Amino acid sequence: MLVDAFLEVLNLWVLVAAITGIVSGIIIGAIPGLGPTMAIALLIPVTFSMEPIPAIILLLGVYQGAIFGGSISAVLLNVPGTPSSAATAIDGFAMARRGEGGRALRFALYASVIGNIFSCLVLMALAEPLARFALDFGPAEMAMLMLFALLVIVLFGGGSKLDALIMVLVGACAGIVGLDPISGTPRFTFGSFAFENGFQLIPVLIGLFAMSEVLLQAFDREPLVGDVEVPPLKSSVVRFAELWRMRVTLLLSSVIGTFVGILPGIGSTVPAFMSYNLARSRSADADRFGKGAPEGVVAPEAANNAVTGGALVPTLALGIPGDAVTAVILGAFMLHGLAPGPFLFRDHGLEVYAIFEALLLSSIPTVILGLLFFRVAIHVTRIQPRHLLPAITILAIFGAFSVNNSLFDVCVMLGAGVLGFLFRRANFPVPPLLIGLILGAPFEQSLRQALLTSGGGYGIFVGSPITVGLLALIGLSLAISLALSLRKART
Amino acid sequence: MSFNGQGGGFARPGFRTLIAGLLLAAAAWGLCSLDRQIEVFGFGASGPDARSFPRVALWLLAAVVALRLVLSLRAEDYPLGTPARLGRVVAVAASGAAALWAMPQFGFFAGAAGAGIIVALVLGERRPLLLGLPLIVAAVVAYCGRHGLSIPLP
Repeated sequence: MLVDAFLEVLNLWVLVAAITGIVSGIIIGAIPGLGPTMAIALLIPVTFSMEPIPAIILLLGVYQGAIFGGSISAVLLNVPGTPSSAATAIDGFAMARRGEGGRALRFALYASVIGNIFSCLVLMALAEPLARFALDFGPAEMAMLMLFALLVIVLFGGGSKLDALIMVLVGACAGIVGLDPISGTPRFTFGSFAFENGFQLIPVLIGLFAMSEVLLQAFDREPLVGDVEVPPLKSSVVRFAELWRMRVTLLLSSVIGTFVGILPGIGSTVPAFMSYNLARSRSADADRFGKGAPEGVVAPEAANNAVTGGALVPTLALGIPGDAVTAVILGAFMLHGLAPGPFLFRDHGLEVYAIFEALLLSSIPTVILGLLFFRVAIHVTRIQPRHLLPAITILAIFGAFSVNNSLFDVCVMLGAGVLGFLFRRANFPVPPLLIGLILGAPFEQSLRQALLTSGGGYGIFVGSPITVGLLALIGLSLAISLALSLRKART
Repeated sequence: MSFNGQGGGFARPGFRTLIAGLLLAAAAWGLCSLDRQIEVFGFGASGPDARSFPRVALWLLAAVVALRLVLSLRAEDYPLGTPARLGRVVAVAASGAAALWAMPQFGFFAGAAGAGIIVALVLGERRPLLLGLPLIVAAVVAYCGRHGLSIPLP
């Protein structure tokens, strides 16, 4: 399988897709305010006519590139391009002010690639066994698993748990619109045929992440980057020996990024700060942190890139997205006929392993393109929203229309954009809404299938070791969350 | 995003109070119209029907949003902003709606380019050359969409 998949990767279009994705990702990631989620959502329609492997590689390349791109403006301008680069800015910007901006960016690039390689290897090792295990899941097990995933997003997603719960429920309620998954009865369709398919994922994604950004910028109308002086980039090198000295930091950060990434809803910002704090606490010279310590750049960058592979484990093996970006990638997989979940590896193993291998091999172009493009990307950080957002509006309209060639989807995109603006402006988290929308309908379907099987008896949810194990995990998550809240309240 | 304590409570509602109020109203409407919007044909099957999950989800949503509203009463809120700021948001949303109306009549290019130009104007762009940029982007997208991706754009 691995050899066959490798032969699939040896395709010129895969290389072109990887390079295009990485370059676009680095540039988009470098522009503060434009994250990988928006970029991937807008690029999905471009991949419609592509083969599944190059299409997914293009989108994953954008993801990979954007996470590194976010560190460029973080290091040079102290303005994180993506939220996960905020930890990188602490020591990266201090290094740049000392005239070591080039070195900081090289450290960030190499750490990104190491984190990515580690998480890809974990993804390759864990995803298929997990999917094979999930093949034994019946409706009751799937319902409990999705309940666990939704609970983890609410409890550990960061921020207010009440707000996250509201957003998950809003997403689940939006997922009700359309035909009932069991009986086919129309629900909240207002007698309209257009509503019967429910809200399509891609127009909602484009609205929530692209159109809402346009509306937010229209509201704020402030330049994302002010007149900050970019420190000069001197020629610099990072030797292998310097990275070797940080091998334990790199390894621990990659482990944190990968395994926190596997948990749904946490994203890449939390592991970046966790790794930064761990590196500082382990350091013999902790005082250097915050003043330009290379370990302070390496640790968060390895962690936030390792999240890529980690978050793909539950997404591909179970169909449960880890965060907003993987929710968008899940949508892309579905559009290309590769429905994530336990059957993905059985039905499309070749394509999936080819994507894994291409993701692993794309570390090589990432290093080359990263070194070539970080000087160019400095100028990109200066792009003002008013130059870019009109183009994003046009792409959003095009992207929403092209999913089903339907103006109704453009309408859904605009509605999702307005709602996304209101939610983001009110500081309600948007990713739980998206995950609620994705998981709400299958959760209801599994729940009802299980109850139909058991003749309405709830004993089916404690009837197998897997459901009991998942119930125990749900109880444990609630207990941990409660303990953390109590400890926080005491301190 | 500012959080300067100018809004808060029912006297000076901000974005959070507004959103919570709207969500509560939507959940209440959903619960009231549930039986009208979802017809159930009972065939003697036991267990939940097509209305059960929506009912539970909407009740839960109404409960947690009501809790958020109560908690928001004493908390600071994100201010709604000046009419000028809200006006810009309305202008961008209206440009999207206008594009939606214009596309079937005048085509994708006219609708999308028009929306792009309005967004550029709303964001403060005044240089004619840069105001022409959406025309180029819309033309490229329309051409590539039709001929490269074979999408039947209006």
